[in-house]
Amino acid sequence: MQTGLLNTYNKSVSNRSVIAWVLSGVLLTFYVLMYFTEFFAPIAAKLHLGGKWGLYGTLYTLFIVVFGIVFIRRHGKTRYQKLRTVSIMFFQVVFAFALPHVMEMFDTPGYNFAYFWPLNYSAFYPSNIINQPLPFILYSFLGSLILVPILTFMYGKRWYCSWVCGCGGLAETAGDSFRHLSSKTSKSWRFERFSIYAILLLAVLTTAIVVSGFILSAKSGGEYSAMYPVFSKVSNGVKGFYSFFVGAILSGVIGVGLYPLMGSRVWCRFFCPLAALMGLIQKFGRFRITVKDEMCISCGNCSAYCEMGIDVRQYAQNNQDFKRAACVGCGICAHVCPRGVLKLENKWDFASWGDAAGVEHADV
Amino acid sequence: MRFVIIGNGVAGINAAGKIRSRDSGAKITIISSESDHFFSRTALMYVFCGQLSAEDVEPYERDLYARKNYERIRGRVAKVDSGKRVLALTNGEIITYDRLLVASGSCPLKPNYPGIDLDGVGNFVTWQDLEWLTEKAKTARKAIVVGGGLIGIETLEILHLAGIKTTMMVREDYFWPIAFSKAEGDMITAHVHSHGVEMLLSTETAEVLGENGKVTGVRTTKGDTLEADLVVFAIGVRPQTDFLKDSGVELDERGGIIVDEKLATKAPDVWAAGDCTSVVWFNGVRRPEQLWYTGRDQGRDAGFNMIASESERQNYVRGTFYNSAKFFDIEYTTGGYVNFNFDGECDWFQCDLTNETSQRITYLADGSVVGFNMLGSRWDHRLFVKWVEEKRDIKWVLERLGEACFDEEFSKKFKVVESAPA
Repeated sequence: MQTGLLNTYNKSVSNRSVIAWVLSGVLLTFYVLMYFTEFFAPIAAKLHLGGKWGLYGTLYTLFIVVFGIVFIRRHGKTRYQKLRTVSIMFFQVVFAFALPHVMEMFDTPGYNFAYFWPLNYSAFYPSNIINQPLPFILYSFLGSLILVPILTFMYGKRWYCSWVCGCGGLAETAGDSFRHLSSKTSKSWRFERFSIYAILLLAVLTTAIVVSGFILSAKSGGEYSAMYPVFSKVSNGVKGFYSFFVGAILSGVIGVGLYPLMGSRVWCRFFCPLAALMGLIQKFGRFRITVKDEMCISCGNCSAYCEMGIDVRQYAQNNQDFKRAACVGCGICAHVCPRGVLKLENKWDFASWGDAAGVEHADV
Repeated sequence: MRFVIIGNGVAGINAAGKIRSRDSGAKITIISSESDHFFSRTALMYVFCGQLSAEDVEPYERDLYARKNYERIRGRVAKVDSGKRVLALTNGEIITYDRLLVASGSCPLKPNYPGIDLDGVGNFVTWQDLEWLTEKAKTARKAIVVGGGLIGIETLEILHLAGIKTTMMVREDYFWPIAFSKAEGDMITAHVHSHGVEMLLSTETAEVLGENGKVTGVRTTKGDTLEADLVVFAIGVRPQTDFLKDSGVELDERGGIIVDEKLATKAPDVWAAGDCTSVVWFNGVRRPEQLWYTGRDQGRDAGFNMIASESERQNYVRGTFYNSAKFFDIEYTTGGYVNFNFDGECDWFQCDLTNETSQRITYLADGSVVGFNMLGSRWDHRLFVKWVEEKRDIKWVLERLGEACFDEEFSKKFKVVESAPA
């Protein structure tokens, strides 16, 4: 028995009870106020945390650290779970929180080295790049276009999603009590495949349009908006829409607000464009989950506790090693399996290249 | 052609799947008295603990029956007449079939101790048992689990986790001698004790005690009285085949359905699969093999043979033995044949009591390995099975044992400490 999972369905916070709905309402309200009003600005000022985002960053980091410790107490029996949780706490505290502050103290613009395009959707916006020192610009490009693909090919997207990323960090720690609430139906999987690639496309288009707009404006001197009135409007509109719809609503308000109802990875599973990109690489990379043939007892722990809504059991009871684009490699499926059927592995074995489609409706 | 399957468990559902995959038009009827949906019986304990929901333990999405066009009947079979190819339910409904699969599973052995029918005495095998135990656990303060097997220790664990002071009574002088050596059994007993749970060895029931129709405890054959307001018997199961009396289907002395190597019974067009089926083991013994894995395999094979033409039908082949279990926090993997007492067999054994892990390899006088028994860490049984089938030498195996390690990444590297036999 996994003592950390005991009574999951008996706890009102994690079984979609009234309390869970209330909590979801509170979170949604918090995010709407945070993103769209200055409600928290005076509180932040009083606490000497700078603007409202200073307060938000502090709270965010605090939650990851506190619930990271809770997570280790729950699932920390194996080193994989312990290490990746320590890692995620480290990257939040040092890279996302402390380092940018320190840099600002030295009059350098704050820069989060653990935040890549297209999750960091403004990373390639020329208006942002222009203000940065050259090494940071290089890092932005090399990080997003070379480091991320290589590491993902070698180790799966887990190196980021469940070891480094802040969104993943909150999901893994503060969201742990809700991981079983992700839908495992094939319908939700179909929606995921539509929505996540749609957002990826939107992210690529938005970046392309904004960059083109900049190039055009550079070429046209000061006459940009006069020379290309439609394009400049569209460019600004698309940029604004993306930061509102994806940056605020999907990743913030819905992404965290729906934790108590739809699980902790709503953003990562359905919308994150970086997750989409890495998922595509992952399917052709080394990382896979190996299944021990004919050893599954179909108990359902793996599927139930998969935060990404992967019906792991279908693969386990069908003796199929698998690569799924969505898998963030948290390892909980293997961890909770009472028969040790599953193993996360990186292998130079491409017999199953791109074979990840797997079983939507596994035949019995 | 109408296929009727008695039992909605792992054998029945796998048989139905095989039939459907060969014939999209066949009429397939599944009869179950237990549940609307196929569920994983091995996962009942997790539902009890609130770790999984009822739907979580169903291995397929609920549209399975509609999608595969299986007709479902909730009811209990009272009688089968294989001569007339007809069966009757307890509610009087008559169902005809062209081919029948009996996959009715097993039911708990019910010993005839005085007091066995008292309120608060039961088992933990069926969905109804789960509901019963869940209800009883709300008020129970002290419980006894009788029986030193897998269901027994799982019941012990979940009652303990439910906050009930629970004691286990094991007849044998160490835990699970059918598969364990004394050292292995003692490690499990110590582990159970470390959770603050009592496991009494060499202890048998003489009488179940009660007052006003309610259980109050158990008196052991040594004369001791153990108090309890909940007693769960987990002393084994027997084939659930009472309804086959006078059906023309032949049963063995335990009630297991006698089948040939193609899983066909002696009656025409009646097959059997799973716990209720008496099969011949590799060593020539005929008896049921009550495992999830064999239920699944027999279901697949029986289903295939039911739909296949006579010349296509295939023998059910058990393959090299393997199994798995979990005792509180200690995982167990076995492959090949341990505790089968082959002539001149020896054990290589090492254990680490601090980390509660042990490895045992049984080999014959010529050095060839026959079985692996691993506790506390994860192992790939596929390699064990392969090595046993290849009759690999114990020294050869010990040099490569680490390759079979299946622990999570970053786990402590496995080491062979005990020296190989000379």
